[in-house]
Amino acid sequence: MPEFDPVYLAIVIVGLMGGVLGVVGYLTLAERKVSAWIQDRLGPNRVGPGGLLQPLADGGKFFLKEEVIPAHVDKVFYLLAPAVAVITSLLAIAVVPFGPTVAPPDPQPTVAAFEAAQAEYRNHFSFVMAPGLDVGVLYVFALGSLAVYGVILAGWSANNKYSLLGALRSSAQIISYEIPLGLSVLGVFLIVGSLNLEKITAWQADHRTWLVLVQPLAFLLFLVSAYAEGSRLPFDLPEAEQELVGGYHTEYSSMKLGLMLMAEYVHLVTAGFIVSILFWGGWGFFGLENLLTDPVGGAVLKAAILIGKMLVYCGFALLIRWTIPRFRFDQLMNIAWKVMIPLALLNLLCVMVVLQFGWPLVVLTGTSVLSFCGAGVLSVWLRGSVTNPKRPVRKLPPGLPAGVTYASR
Amino acid sequence: MPTVYVNDKPVEIGTGKLNCIQAAGLGGVLIPSYCWHEALTVVASCRMCLVEVGDRKPDGTVVMQPKVVPGCQTPVKDGTVIVTGEYDKRDPAAAALNYPADYTKGGKPGERAKKSQADTLEGLLINHPLDCPVCDKAGECKLQDFSYKYGRAETRMVDEKNTPPNKPALSSKITLFTDRCIMCTRCVRFTREISGTAELQVVGRAHHEEIDVFPGRPLENKLAGNVVDLCPVGALGSKDFLYKQRVWYLKTADGVCSRCSTGCSTYTDTNKDIVYRLRPRVNPEAQGHFMCDEGRYGYHFANSGERFVRPMVKTDGRFKPAPWTQVGAQLRQEVAAAVGQAAAGFAAVLSPFLTVEEAFLYASYFKRLAKEVPLVLGPVPVVGADDRYPKNVKGEPVEPTKFVIRAEKCPNRRGVEAVLMHFQGAVIPFADVVRDALPAMWFAGGYPVKEHVEEAFPADWKAPALLVAQDLFPTLLTASAKYILPATAAFEKEGTFVNHAGLAQSFPRAVRPPQEARTELQLAFDLLGRRGLAQPGAIRAELAAAVPFFAPLAGVVPQNGVKVG
Amino acid sequence: MPMTEADVRWVQEPKLGFWDQIYFPAMIDGLKTTVGHLFGRKITEQYPEQEPKLPPTYRGVHRLNRDAEGRVKCVACYMCATACPAHCIDIVAAPAPPEWAGREKYPETFVIDELRCIYCGMCEEACPVDAIELTTLYDLTGLSREQMVFDKEKLLSVFDTTTKAGTDPVRTQAGRLSVASEPPPG
Repeated sequence: MPEFDPVYLAIVIVGLMGGVLGVVGYLTLAERKVSAWIQDRLGPNRVGPGGLLQPLADGGKFFLKEEVIPAHVDKVFYLLAPAVAVITSLLAIAVVPFGPTVAPPDPQPTVAAFEAAQAEYRNHFSFVMAPGLDVGVLYVFALGSLAVYGVILAGWSANNKYSLLGALRSSAQIISYEIPLGLSVLGVFLIVGSLNLEKITAWQADHRTWLVLVQPLAFLLFLVSAYAEGSRLPFDLPEAEQELVGGYHTEYSSMKLGLMLMAEYVHLVTAGFIVSILFWGGWGFFGLENLLTDPVGGAVLKAAILIGKMLVYCGFALLIRWTIPRFRFDQLMNIAWKVMIPLALLNLLCVMVVLQFGWPLVVLTGTSVLSFCGAGVLSVWLRGSVTNPKRPVRKLPPGLPAGVTYASR
Repeated sequence: MPTVYVNDKPVEIGTGKLNCIQAAGLGGVLIPSYCWHEALTVVASCRMCLVEVGDRKPDGTVVMQPKVVPGCQTPVKDGTVIVTGEYDKRDPAAAALNYPADYTKGGKPGERAKKSQADTLEGLLINHPLDCPVCDKAGECKLQDFSYKYGRAETRMVDEKNTPPNKPALSSKITLFTDRCIMCTRCVRFTREISGTAELQVVGRAHHEEIDVFPGRPLENKLAGNVVDLCPVGALGSKDFLYKQRVWYLKTADGVCSRCSTGCSTYTDTNKDIVYRLRPRVNPEAQGHFMCDEGRYGYHFANSGERFVRPMVKTDGRFKPAPWTQVGAQLRQEVAAAVGQAAAGFAAVLSPFLTVEEAFLYASYFKRLAKEVPLVLGPVPVVGADDRYPKNVKGEPVEPTKFVIRAEKCPNRRGVEAVLMHFQGAVIPFADVVRDALPAMWFAGGYPVKEHVEEAFPADWKAPALLVAQDLFPTLLTASAKYILPATAAFEKEGTFVNHAGLAQSFPRAVRPPQEARTELQLAFDLLGRRGLAQPGAIRAELAAAVPFFAPLAGVVPQNGVKVG
Repeated sequence: MPMTEADVRWVQEPKLGFWDQIYFPAMIDGLKTTVGHLFGRKITEQYPEQEPKLPPTYRGVHRLNRDAEGRVKCVACYMCATACPAHCIDIVAAPAPPEWAGREKYPETFVIDELRCIYCGMCEEACPVDAIELTTLYDLTGLSREQMVFDKEKLLSVFDTTTKAGTDPVRTQAGRLSVASEPPPG
């Protein structure tokens, strides 16, 4: 990439956005299909061969649905909310590599050397919209935090108590899970020494390892937090179709609802890329990525590997959805604040110690497993007295079996 | 005071001559019966009212008769002990009598009566077809009720039932389903004792007995419809009501018959704002147990499609429907103007079909406009002479009279007259004003027979310039009116009628007025400038306070009515 | 009825052990189930191509049965209309035509609003002459509300088609006026 070229950039942006939205569309189909199969049904199979055109039909339906704007809403914010939701989720894609990348150069001793390195870096083609952004992951997290505005605005502007409660529920969840999300990957950044996603991929390629092996606990925490951030089951308290009114998008209809739902799938795709890059070695696959040596073929293979990893992440989300029942809200908060944040801090501490004394990184695998099992032992010992503390109880009138008590108010 | 013991409960019977059924009824115990009827002679043929009776001596000992006796035929006296089949459901508060040992030896008290009643029912059902689904009586059938309550669940009859042919030619109004008859002979006794015409009789013997008429002498008298009510089963059916409605759909309201000045108390059976039949309501003050066919079948006018259902105004020689809001304002204006021009020339005609409340409000309205407005009693239809029953074979009435169909075919002449007397001290007959050419007239009619209106007008009658005609049906009068207002039938309003003998009976509304019709009471209420819905009860109280004649109507009017005047 | 001590079963939360607390075995268990079903046999019926096999007790469209002479069996007793919780049956009764031997009353009109009907089958239970029955016809459609109001002729034609097709043979063969009019057994 010689210089800033708006035409070229526009093509990349349009292509990537189109690609992401296409994946999102087919994720909805996959969601419905997988749900159906798990429930021993067939799923949508009428539109196109095997139901392959169903996303188009759904999209068309969203556009053609009656546009209802209730009279009691705050119109400006009501219309703004879906836009905020979808824009923030799409913007996060900008720094996410979706194919092979080259690490941007490190600082050089002289300006001339740096310029040369930069020029050299620019000559490589990078599968990313905004290559070489040093704040990398931080930018993604920042936009992820902005997404909560979409939720809050939607719930508040609807002037409806169900929407408002849904939005409060939802924002509390998203804000809470941002902490373990950020804390868990701090170890990765310390090990790699950079926030830049291209550099993290390059580190894993250089060390011929995946960070998930070095940081299994961080991966687990990140995975859980990412599902919670994206409001996926078992953390879909914001919607909880079965037991609560729609949540923050109760009052939305037509394409505005479509945008809200689309934003969630975009989050899923972004999270899939981030997980693949941070923990699963990016476009690397144990040397398999180097099978094709010609530049175009190699690039395609690497891109396919990365996208494949992303799809595995998404597929796992679909499976988890029907495997784990939804958490109660207090359980949801307990897990974030009383389990995941302490564990993430402990993990960070381990990383700091290991790096300080220059011990081999494999020690971190051991500490991860140990702290996880330690948490398990601790919770058995505490019998939930931390996550679910005993409230004062009163004895019921005589005649009840011994030991049976009810919590008083 | 003579005391009778009904299932151990002491009941004071007063001085009347009562049988066991009546005495038990005073004690709140129902003794089932088919053939017995208060107004008819006793034959004790159905054997449904079998009871055990005995005597309680002054010293407290009880002597019981060894066998069950028909309660309808057994008079009671002081100390009579009645034990019915429902002895086991007796009032637990009453102390058990000292029944003799030879009586209780054969079984607990009441068991014999109970068994006898069950056996009686089994016998009645031997030939009774089980066609309740197609029978019009189903739902109000005594045989159904008592079989359910006292009978057995299954039949032991294995032979073919008797199925004598139906007799639809029994009468023009009544059909006989011969196989359903249980030979209680209530209908036969009615035609012999009440109407005196004696058309019905029992022919055949034993289980070939049938009710029938002489060939060529069908059951045609003006009281014949009562035999349908008397029939405890579905044997006699009214052709007028046959298969129209199942009785459990009907809503029943008390009513007063508006077809003659006897003012029979009735039940009005309606469904979905349609009157389906009238039945007599027992009222010893008014007419007794029965009603005449003229009144019974005289409800059809209320369901007629010819009725006026909305106000109409004549514009350019044609009647056009107009909304009440517009008509009300116009009427008030025009009437006030006409009264202002010549109050004495404005005849306010109040028909004897109005309730006293309506007449009172109308009279108040017109007299408030001007004292000189003459209040005129509308045409009083009189057809022939009073028709007295029972009659002998020559058709002459026989004393004592048991039922009278009055010649005066309106329900409330006395009530309206009393209102007019109160307001102007005299009743102006309609014939007095109809001769003169008047500038204006308000005719508050409501005549169910349009000839009764038309006959009252001479052939050379000149219609007033302003004629407000309020009536049920189109007549000569409404044709020359400027305003036509719909009247309401007696079923469609709440009010009070005063019959020939000065008995005031209040009755509730049974159905709603058709379409846009409003009650005369509401119209008068609106004309008086009062707001809201007219409450007949409140207006009745107002009337009772204002007019001494109606003073007894203050407070709740008893169901059987109250004498006024 | 008040509960007795013996009726009450007290349930307490099970104590969680180490493996339960770290969640993994339970999750793998769950995933086994879901993945198993993912590739399991599907039970979906492809409706328009594949017709369901319905039990004979299925409650679909009504029919009015005919008697041996082809007359409508109904005697217009209004029992079905009375039993109907949706008030969807409207009958107008009339004296039977004189040539109908042994019949006194018949339905002049018999109308069922199939849209209002909730297909509870109470009418069938209430009928004393087994004149109304619910068939296994389930694919009931119409282009307007009026089309879904079935009159006597339509209901009789349902009888004709279902008995001819053999999908719904006349199920009950009771006496002239139900069991009550029959001699007791034995």
